[in-house]
Amino acid sequence: MPEVIEKFYSLKELWKKLPKLPVDRKYLAGGTDLIVGYNLGISSNECYLDISDIRELNLVRENKKQVFIGAGVKLAELGKNSLIKRWVPALYDCVPHFASSSLRNMATLGGNLANASPSADGVCALAASRAWVLLNLYGKRESKPVLSVLKGPKKNALKKDQIIEGFIVPKKRHKAVFLKLISRAKFGIGKVGICVCADIEKKFVKDINVVLSSVAPTVFEAKKTSSILKYSYLTAKIVEKASETIRTEVSPISDIRSAQDYRREMCGVLLERALRYIA
Amino acid sequence: MKKYLLKCQVNGKNIEREIRPDKTLLEFIREDLGLTGTKEGCGEGECGACLVLLDGRAVNSCLMMAAQAHGKKIITIEGLRDEKNPLIDSFAKEAAVQCGFCIPGFIIKAEELLSENPEATDDEIKESLAGNLCRCTGYKNIIKAVGKVRKKCLK
Repeated sequence: MPEVIEKFYSLKELWKKLPKLPVDRKYLAGGTDLIVGYNLGISSNECYLDISDIRELNLVRENKKQVFIGAGVKLAELGKNSLIKRWVPALYDCVPHFASSSLRNMATLGGNLANASPSADGVCALAASRAWVLLNLYGKRESKPVLSVLKGPKKNALKKDQIIEGFIVPKKRHKAVFLKLISRAKFGIGKVGICVCADIEKKFVKDINVVLSSVAPTVFEAKKTSSILKYSYLTAKIVEKASETIRTEVSPISDIRSAQDYRREMCGVLLERALRYIA
Repeated sequence: MKKYLLKCQVNGKNIEREIRPDKTLLEFIREDLGLTGTKEGCGEGECGACLVLLDGRAVNSCLMMAAQAHGKKIITIEGLRDEKNPLIDSFAKEAAVQCGFCIPGFIIKAEELLSENPEATDDEIKESLAGNLCRCTGYKNIIKAVGKVRKKCLK
């Protein structure tokens, strides 16, 4: 249980106070994963750092080439944001699939990535949108592709005290679709999630990115499948070949939510549906 | 253990308390303030029994540390009762309550929805309440009760 909890309103304040705080610390943003673990007695740290009200993490802004999404912006706000709707349609499409609306009032994209769940819906949409993550450690920034931060189920590659400041998404007009197979109509962790972002003209695929969740140790990009579809016309034969390929690319497990074979089969089915919607 | 000085507003009253840093917002509301209308169900964000309004947004108070509410305005079911919120009457009139354990969460969520969208359709009501569970299976009357208040809003 936390012995100390500190709240911060700016990154400057955070970096200034950090050296004086207990070393066994966790960053608290939305709390929808961290506090579940705390309530279940799974996660226990001496110190919680509340970064949910840090100004720099709560912005969505644009320049000519990119959209910046603060890591602490609540998902519910992203679902109403006109910049997100226009430039990051995969994320806009994904938000209503994300847990319940009360959890969307709390949860953040930064937390979704840091938690490194194989079923992370938001990460799936960001990766399909070719987003980069902006990391910050004592003011030193670096950016890298979103998926490079994932190392395995619940394991990320963040350095100690390196925080996720936000995400950078290139402004490029494209179509997007996010599909999720779940047991409960509106609320739950997916059996399979798929996000497809593509630039398609008259059924010719100029560019495409297919990303999946819940069917591998991390959210991952189906590169072989994307390469089959890129520079092709979406004919029945190509779609069939792509759906066969995607079944070989995934490595699902059987668990409480679904069986391995069913998940594998549904990856192909969902890809076909996604391509139909997007074409 | 370093105590945290929490300043917030609960149901219109300014509160200033030293709290243990390991308290969730739900524990603070129930144990420190004695407002036991907010319930603990699952402790995992699945059931919605612990919902409160935080700066007008419905949040699961079991998944927030109390310190996170510093500087915020909280409204619990008691706050809605004190202001004679029409949803409470409507739930009683439409027999939308059986054991009642989940109802504060439903009313808080419905209040958030109708504040934002007084003309919410039945589908929007269902969508909004998707994160709330009732194990007495009273959903139809619950949706009806929320719908009645919506219709009053429209008149």
